[in-house]
Amino acid sequence: MLLRSGTGFGALALQAMLAREAAGKSNAPPLPGTAKRVIFLFMHGGPSTVDLFDPKPLLSRDTGKPFPLKAPRITSHKSKNLLLKSPWSCQQHGASGAQVCDLLPNIASITDDLCFVKSMHCSNSRHGGALLELHTGSDTFTRPSMGSWINYGLGSENENLPGFITINPSGSHGGAGAWSSAFLPAKYTGTHISGKGTEMKVPFIDNPLHDQSKQRKELDLLASFNKEHLTQRGANSELESRIASYELAFKMQMEVPGVQDISSEPAHVKKLYGADADPTKSFGEQCLMARRFSEAGVRFVQVTHRYWDSHGNLKKEHEKLSAEMDKPVAGLITDLKQRGLLDETLVLWGGEFGRTPTAQGNDGRDHNPHGFTMFMAGGGIKPGTVYGSTDDYGYYAEDKPVHFHDLHATILHLMGIDHEEFTHRYAGRDFRLTDVEGKVVRGIIA
Amino acid sequence: MVLRRIIGCLGLATGFLWGAEDYWAFAPVSNSTPPTVGNSNWAREDLDRFVLAGIEKGGYLPTKTAEKRTLVRRAYLDLHGLPPTAAQITTFLQDEREDAWEKLIGELLESPRYGERWGRHWLDVARYADTNGMDEDIAHPSAWRYRDYVIAAFNEDKPFDQFIIEQLAGDLLPAKDLEEKRARTVGLGFLSVGPKMLACDDPDKMRRDIVDEQMDTMGRAFLGMTIGCARCHDHKIDPISIKDYYGLAGIFMSTKTLTKYSVVAEFHEHNLTEEHHKKRWQEVNRLEAVRKKKETSKEEKKRLGKEIATLTKDLPVPFMVMGVSEYPTQNIKVHLRGDYLTLGEEVSRGVPSAWTDGKKIIMPEKQSGRLELARWIASAENPLTSRVIVNRLWRWHFGRGIVPTPDNFGGLGERPTHPALLDHLAHKFVKSGWSVKAMHRLMMNSAIYRQSTQADPALSKDDPENKLFARWQRRRVESEVIRDSILMKSNRLDPTVGGSMLVVQPSKYADRGHLKAHSLVPRRTVYLPVYRSSGYDGQKAFDSADSAVSDGNRRSSTVAGQALYLMNSELMHESSKSLAEIVISQDSPNPTSWLINHLLGREATEKECLQGEKFVNDYGDEKEAWSAFARVLFSSNEFLYIE
Repeated sequence: MLLRSGTGFGALALQAMLAREAAGKSNAPPLPGTAKRVIFLFMHGGPSTVDLFDPKPLLSRDTGKPFPLKAPRITSHKSKNLLLKSPWSCQQHGASGAQVCDLLPNIASITDDLCFVKSMHCSNSRHGGALLELHTGSDTFTRPSMGSWINYGLGSENENLPGFITINPSGSHGGAGAWSSAFLPAKYTGTHISGKGTEMKVPFIDNPLHDQSKQRKELDLLASFNKEHLTQRGANSELESRIASYELAFKMQMEVPGVQDISSEPAHVKKLYGADADPTKSFGEQCLMARRFSEAGVRFVQVTHRYWDSHGNLKKEHEKLSAEMDKPVAGLITDLKQRGLLDETLVLWGGEFGRTPTAQGNDGRDHNPHGFTMFMAGGGIKPGTVYGSTDDYGYYAEDKPVHFHDLHATILHLMGIDHEEFTHRYAGRDFRLTDVEGKVVRGIIA
Repeated sequence: MVLRRIIGCLGLATGFLWGAEDYWAFAPVSNSTPPTVGNSNWAREDLDRFVLAGIEKGGYLPTKTAEKRTLVRRAYLDLHGLPPTAAQITTFLQDEREDAWEKLIGELLESPRYGERWGRHWLDVARYADTNGMDEDIAHPSAWRYRDYVIAAFNEDKPFDQFIIEQLAGDLLPAKDLEEKRARTVGLGFLSVGPKMLACDDPDKMRRDIVDEQMDTMGRAFLGMTIGCARCHDHKIDPISIKDYYGLAGIFMSTKTLTKYSVVAEFHEHNLTEEHHKKRWQEVNRLEAVRKKKETSKEEKKRLGKEIATLTKDLPVPFMVMGVSEYPTQNIKVHLRGDYLTLGEEVSRGVPSAWTDGKKIIMPEKQSGRLELARWIASAENPLTSRVIVNRLWRWHFGRGIVPTPDNFGGLGERPTHPALLDHLAHKFVKSGWSVKAMHRLMMNSAIYRQSTQADPALSKDDPENKLFARWQRRRVESEVIRDSILMKSNRLDPTVGGSMLVVQPSKYADRGHLKAHSLVPRRTVYLPVYRSSGYDGQKAFDSADSAVSDGNRRSSTVAGQALYLMNSELMHESSKSLAEIVISQDSPNPTSWLINHLLGREATEKECLQGEKFVNDYGDEKEAWSAFARVLFSSNEFLYIE
């Protein structure tokens, strides 16, 4: 079987690991992984990374002229393909000399902790397709989200908390598909925390009785009835785990609000994230909440910032969005570093695609899945690096292209999981996060 | 690259079936004689002998028959998805006729609650949803007609072969009048309600992806075959070549699912409004257009408004049916590696010959061929179809299929544990005129069905998965049953049947803002609109169907989120409050015992009564105390499992 499967003994080790997970125990990764947790800062809508991180002298020079290379066969809008120079400028920062736009002074100040991948690309030119591709690896079928896969592979670090939390996710463009466990067991589905400010809650975490002791009494009587029921029927693992699930839920209910509550954070920490004042308050609070969840052992935390889809009004919109996003992101990475958590926490920043160097109207850019930038920090990533590049105009990934499949392979690798061996059998087929694709991007690993 | 895709698609391949004409699933259904068994008195139906033979061969005994009280609850939950009332239990317990059980089943099958329960099972297979999901969560405003059609089909015991044909090609069947036309067309929702990438900048890819999804769902649902694999390469396990795939795909490429393939795409609906109403609607639309014009004077607008009001008075809303229609027929070329930009040879539309035992299914020149395909699937000679459906019914009754992978009868699915039994049932099914209700009677009247969960410990240990079917496998009720049962037992369940709660226009986005309000409507869960891109947290926690894929084998998990729902949800607290009011208004001499009997369908023990009374007395406020006690019972394993 091993010969035919072509997956070797590692798969068996992984199966053994999954068996342990099924028993509800926390597991050591099968390979030495550097990252234990992921925080994904998702920029919904597609930020214009050609403006933010990938300045091109030729684009400035040739603004208004036709794009000299061949335009993509498929685009989301018809275009005259006239180049549009950036309304802003970038400077080199830190020892790596990474280019960062003047709109992002805080991110610019920490470039030596960051690794920029400037040759990202994906296959789909629409938000929904690209978003699902980024989150699940497929823009064609319903597949488990990467947060679900990681939890399935590594299990929980803290049984009193969900393993996969997504804060303020997008309801459109894939919606729950982006945090769904699909055919993996339901426990690996992302827990979404949506709403405004203090309304953001894990579903059903609030006890409507507002009285722990009364609920405790209920649960005690329930446990007593359930145990009597079990005694009459003899040992049964399913009935027993359901009895245990109430205790776990009760513990979650006690622990989650505390972990989520950022009010106890000192003023200087809130300030670091910009959680103290607008325009950074809302996203700053969410990033701070993400750190608290991550620190408490949630494997995969995602925070969504939106909506970067500037088909028109690029200048005004991107200035507003950058001002909301810059400080919280830099604050989070700085805070993790100060706490000694950055080494074991992989922070990922990026959108479902970038934007074209060509114009839409006179102040807008269309979707560009062919070449864009994402950046990472911590978790075993080589800090202070710039990896890959786009062509002279910033349209296509050219040098060392990195597809979302490669990104997924690399994230799994950093967590100690071999993406080719990590499979799940469903409906007669073995599925992977990376389908039949994906190469670990060795050049960005420390 | 091709090789990598093949390996990826295959996974841990277990064997190659190419050219294996004797592969069990393709062999003709045999009318097998029931085996001789030692304890032939135990068997009630022939099917029992097939199972008993296996049990005896293993050296075991079947488990004793469950108590009547257990059986009546099992039958109600299984057929209606609702527990019996105390009075219904008493009626059955007091019925001492020899055929009391058969009579009970007959009655339960006549109730409209039956179709709501078993229709929902089929909706899992049909990956039913009221919104598209995927990239653009566009609403399906008329999909509910398909849902109601499915529920009605089960209630009417529509012959399953007819049910298949209507779902694949109802529009191509002759209809003598509009009413019949409507009845035959609504089933087409099956092909249309699937998830689609509607904002794809490449319309050619979009069309092919939709066709692929339709073929894959059809294959799994009716044939237990995974056709999708052959899109890129010959299926390495099952006899479907890439040419076969594109022969079938030609049928679906000659079928219209969408009316617009540019972003955002729009799906096809049949307008089956009565002719004179259609004309009035046309006039209304014409007048509306004039009224909206800038140059129309204020007075004229007012007058038009009045005219429209008169016209629309008593005018029923247009009768729209979400479903496919015909396109000009076309044969398509093989897409090498699944890519339509690299084409191979042209393939004639048709059904794979390996499936038809070499018989050629003639495709009409001027029609897609859907009807011919549907008739071939629904024919008695097709060995897959009847096996697949009886296995599904068995799975939904017993919690595990005779083929444990009900959606995959191919080489990567599991083999039947009782192949002769499967054939016996398939044979009977076809002979009964494809009657689903006849199958329910057969399966439920069996001795196997009536077994207790309380098996010999050795048996439970040796056969933990219950492959021998030598006991009743206790299982948690599904998400819908939990919600419906709680509503029913707190006297809140609204029994209204059918219709739509969606508030949307065709091809417009579904508004998730309505989800919360939907979830609070105390109707049966099957009637709550299914939003593919979001859904109800309480339902999802309990493994409700993933409407993105055809799934006849729902999983059943145990996670803390379920406990949180039962502890803290609005449904639970509102329902327990209602029930507390009932308890108090009863003025019963022993309310604890009444409540236990009401919810669990049995006498309370003395210990439970004492515990309950103490709990209520210590709790404080009387109504709060009874609410809390009701929650304890609603959350108990005894309430949540089919014993």
